[in-house]
Amino acid sequence: MAVSTATQASSDTKPAPPREWRRFKFPESLYRWGGVLLALVFVSYSIIYLNIPLDRFFNMFGRVGQLVADRYYPPEIDYVLEPDYLASVFDTIQMSYLGALFGMLMAVPLGWFGSYNMTPSRRFVYPVARLVTMSARAVHETIWAILFVTILGFGMMAGVLALTMFCIGFAGKLFAEEIEAIDMGPVEALRATGASELNVMAYAVFPQVRVAFTGIGIYTWDVAFRAATVVGFFGAGGMGWYLKRNILQIETYRVSAILVSIIVLVLIAEGISAWARARVAKAK
Amino acid sequence: MATAQATADQVERIIAARSKTKIVRLLIFVVVLALVFLSVKTTIVDDTDWARIGSVWNVLESIGQFIGINWSLVPNLWQPALETIMVATLGTLLGVVVCIPAIWFGALNITPFAPITYPIARLMMTLSRSIHEIVWALFFVAAVGLGALAGVLAIAVRSVGFIAKMTAEAIEDLDPRPVEAIRAVGGSEFQVFIYAILPQVLPVMVGVIVFEWEINIRRSSILGLVGAGGLGLVFFRQLNTFNYPGVTTVILAILVLILFGEMVSYYVRKAII
Repeated sequence: MAVSTATQASSDTKPAPPREWRRFKFPESLYRWGGVLLALVFVSYSIIYLNIPLDRFFNMFGRVGQLVADRYYPPEIDYVLEPDYLASVFDTIQMSYLGALFGMLMAVPLGWFGSYNMTPSRRFVYPVARLVTMSARAVHETIWAILFVTILGFGMMAGVLALTMFCIGFAGKLFAEEIEAIDMGPVEALRATGASELNVMAYAVFPQVRVAFTGIGIYTWDVAFRAATVVGFFGAGGMGWYLKRNILQIETYRVSAILVSIIVLVLIAEGISAWARARVAKAK
Repeated sequence: MATAQATADQVERIIAARSKTKIVRLLIFVVVLALVFLSVKTTIVDDTDWARIGSVWNVLESIGQFIGINWSLVPNLWQPALETIMVATLGTLLGVVVCIPAIWFGALNITPFAPITYPIARLMMTLSRSIHEIVWALFFVAAVGLGALAGVLAIAVRSVGFIAKMTAEAIEDLDPRPVEAIRAVGGSEFQVFIYAILPQVLPVMVGVIVFEWEINIRRSSILGLVGAGGLGLVFFRQLNTFNYPGVTTVILAILVLILFGEMVSYYVRKAII
């Protein structure tokens, strides 16, 4: 009540000065427009530098449509129902399962060492753990697959290891962030009673992050499965090999069938992961 | 007495529930373990060519080939690194343009006709996220030919899903009051969008875009494997000529590039949010 009369009084005595309203005032607005201009310059320079044929880009849509209609359209569904291919699907699931599991087993200590509030040593262990997680994440899963194939030869072991590295990077970062967000009260309480770092981890930190870790773990498997569908492309086992073979043989109908099967499987995996994560969150 | 009896009942129920969850947990544990053994057997024990690997020593030897840096390669890496960043940037920007309709259709509170447009947008997002960038790149190489354009398109299509999903969710959680306020002072629909919806969504969207850009650097660094230029091409050449220190050099270059991307993304997000 008092506020409204006050504003009324002030608006009565002082009429608003006639000026245009702007969201950003002088120096800030300059920075913003400068940023936009810089971005535009960079974009146009990159188009020239990369030699991108813009005419081809604008004519592309018809071509892509025609390509799909002519060469990919009726997908050869029979091919993906053959036992060989189904076995490779099963292999892919197993690879993603193992990769996610091993990756998470490694990611839990890395998340611990790489979280700023709980790391045993901020000066030595923390940067090392961060560097390991970052490099595992920075190197793409296909590069990991190629490297492991070069070292260990063709086969699913290379794929499992590549997925393990991928999951270390993926889950390690999320685990560390989750640990950094905990309530430090229980940690201090346990430290005050003289508990060791491992005990603090087990009784103060772990109960707080248990549910989040389970959710992240399920999500990691989901993402690992998506990656597992292509590591075979470079000889690391699973259905990616069938994809590569059929692309090289220009069996486009089979390629489209495989792509459809990948989309369906990823959808199923996403559904399972969403359901499991909802269950975990509810069981909290 | 009655309350004591009730408490005892409650305690019993809690204990019963606990033992039930304990059994369920044990079962889950056993299943997980059994699946691990099964998968290890089929994927690692049966499918590995143990004779090719040889002893632990041989493995260490082949890892040892990768140790070292090929300094003479470093000057030749600037251009592909720049190309990689450019492909990632252009791809992300194109992805943002492409994802505008997906966001519009995919946010339940602004979608024009929910029964039809919402599933279309969801399908777009899922398609984009479920197909790997390598596969997209192969598809676009077939459609527009070898070169950076195929990489840009692959990155763009691949980014749509994540950006659109996060932004659509942000729009669904929008605070409706600013919208009403702008409408109440007589703002047009466009002004409502510019002054009520955009300021609320922009921080989220910019954060997501910058994050996606960072991931796209990682993706564009491998698109050379399927003929879209950049660092991936150099990587592939080094590997095919068995120049393993060169491979390590390229990987380190990718690492540096991604560190740079993370730094830029950190500062941009801090400046905007």
